[in-house]
Amino acid sequence: MAVTAEDLSPTIALDGGRKIRGNLTQARIRWMVLALVLGFGAVGGRLVQLGMVVPDTTIEGQARDLITATRPPILDRNGLEMAVDIRVPSLYAEPRRIIDVEEAVTKIRSVLPNLDEAWLRNRLTGDKGFVWVQRELSPAIQERIMRLGIPGVEFLTESKRFYPGMTEASHILGSTNIDNQGIAGIEKHMDDENVALLQELGLARGNALAPVELSVDMRVQHVMHEQLVDAMSRYQAIAAAGVMVDVHTGEIIALASVPDFNPNDPKTALVKDTFNRITAGIFEPGSIFKTVTMAGALDSGAVSMTDQFDARFGVRFGRFTIDDFHGKHRILALPEVYKFSSNIGTIRVMQAMGKENFRAFLSKMGFDQRVPFELPEMRLPNVPKDFSEVGAATASFGHGLSVSPLHMVMAYSAFVNGGNYIAPTLYKRSQAEAEALYRRVIQPQTSANIRALMRLNAIGQGGSGSQMNKEALGYRVGGKTGTAEKVVDGRYSSSKVTNFFGSAFPMENPQYAMVIMVDEPKAENPQSGTTAGWNAGTVTGRIVQRVAPMLGIAPDFSPIIDDFVPTAYR
Amino acid sequence: MIRSLNIILIFTSVIMLAGVYTLKFSIEHTASERTALAAQIESQEGDLSLLKADWAVLNQPGHIDPIVKRHQVALAIGPVKQKQFGAFQDIPMRPVKPNNAEMDALFQSLEAGIDPIDAILELEGIE
Repeated sequence: MAVTAEDLSPTIALDGGRKIRGNLTQARIRWMVLALVLGFGAVGGRLVQLGMVVPDTTIEGQARDLITATRPPILDRNGLEMAVDIRVPSLYAEPRRIIDVEEAVTKIRSVLPNLDEAWLRNRLTGDKGFVWVQRELSPAIQERIMRLGIPGVEFLTESKRFYPGMTEASHILGSTNIDNQGIAGIEKHMDDENVALLQELGLARGNALAPVELSVDMRVQHVMHEQLVDAMSRYQAIAAAGVMVDVHTGEIIALASVPDFNPNDPKTALVKDTFNRITAGIFEPGSIFKTVTMAGALDSGAVSMTDQFDARFGVRFGRFTIDDFHGKHRILALPEVYKFSSNIGTIRVMQAMGKENFRAFLSKMGFDQRVPFELPEMRLPNVPKDFSEVGAATASFGHGLSVSPLHMVMAYSAFVNGGNYIAPTLYKRSQAEAEALYRRVIQPQTSANIRALMRLNAIGQGGSGSQMNKEALGYRVGGKTGTAEKVVDGRYSSSKVTNFFGSAFPMENPQYAMVIMVDEPKAENPQSGTTAGWNAGTVTGRIVQRVAPMLGIAPDFSPIIDDFVPTAYR
Repeated sequence: MIRSLNIILIFTSVIMLAGVYTLKFSIEHTASERTALAAQIESQEGDLSLLKADWAVLNQPGHIDPIVKRHQVALAIGPVKQKQFGAFQDIPMRPVKPNNAEMDALFQSLEAGIDPIDAILELEGIE
């Protein structure tokens, strides 16, 4: 047998004990390093993960900042606060931190018994990070809940809108919802225009917001509101409204409509009939529209102040005859047509101008569209595109078309300020800024004639504004009454009327124009009537009597001041 | 050599540790002070906003008017009437000062028994 190398088993190699131990140590070190790397890796990874987490700062879908955001205070033209922010505590809970829901429910309900138990339990159960419990609480209640010491129930200070004038300027200001967003009036306009943008840019989160200055004078606003409320009860009317505007700048000095609501309690705005009648109500204006017809006709040159019009017989259109309310049934000069509010005469004046020209003049005065204005509560006027013969005739004395009182006051303001139409505004506007926006609608001479007509109506024998002038003697108010019959069951009713008084003062150099509306008035006493002179007229007189001194207009009794009124027709 | 170095290092680290903790606690203290101040400012701003709102209410014409009406009789006040307005040009000029010397002369002549009216009557022919 030969021993070959193939048969040999491999050589046995033995390591020494030291070497074996050395290898073992090395392996252990490797494992340790690996474990350490893994351990630190896990910690590092977690750190990175935590760094990536975006904390949820929203409160039930809304950014926390937005809820604590403040709104700029609103001031009137003299710097009196009309709307301010107050800080109020709101109660919220973090359900995931609440240990004993039953205990929390019982304790919270001991302070706020109005909360529904099942609703509250449901609200506090679960894993949510934030739920409102009750918003806008008083500091006293906050104190009591704090004393309960419930874990996971805390307070957040919210801004809440407060209107110190209560109901007085409600339709101007509008209101805000619980999240402090404007939902009506100028508050909504501010949101649409600026505040929302500011909040987006992160600017409105501090408390140093520049106050917003309105054109409204709270003193005048108070008087107007008070007089309208008084008119409601005095004449048992269903509504009353009024607006006063600076004729040179278009600034709204006062605007009120009753019944109104309390902006501190926004749900009162939902009550029926509390809408803003000045901007969102459209009415047949009645005879106050005759001023528009006169202005248009005088400006077109078709008629002059001395022209005579035959008002002996009613105007016939087929089966209909239009007659006068206080019929004189004689030939009337133009100022007399206006003074006696003759429908027949006004139709003749309009016919002298031509119905197409008349319709075009209405468009020029902006009666076709909404008045450009800040308040969101606006309604489209209803003026027929084309007039038939009868349509034009009725329109000339303010029937068969519906416009808002704001339309009327802006037209009056243009008629008396020298003939420039200026869009109204609720923000302060200087004379220079306003002049850039002027749009000439009638000639200065026509404006002077209209002023004479309006003043004549107040001081002339039998003028429909004499009731008003009695109240505001010395303040040189001029104006026109309008008694529009309401349509009841498809026909005009003589017992249900909407009364208007469009006026301006002081008439020799008008500063302010005003329209007062009293809806469905009744006679104050058996000696008085229900036509506009008795109610809308006297309300106008009483308002002017109170506010003229506030607006820096002193009474003047010198007869020379009325020299611009033609004496022949007084 | 290494031993003394270690001792130095241990002491340094203990001191550093103490230092770091002191710093940490002082910062925490400052932070809590700041939070407390912020909360105080917040609550005072809240109070201020309420006071401002109160002030605004008290200044409203709608708030003052009823008060005025309530005390109208006691204070004898009322809304201003047209006739209560006046202008500087409506005030009459100050009357001319009486001529004292002439008056004295008149009284003296009267005392002396001479009435100047007699002279005028005589001139007119009235007796």
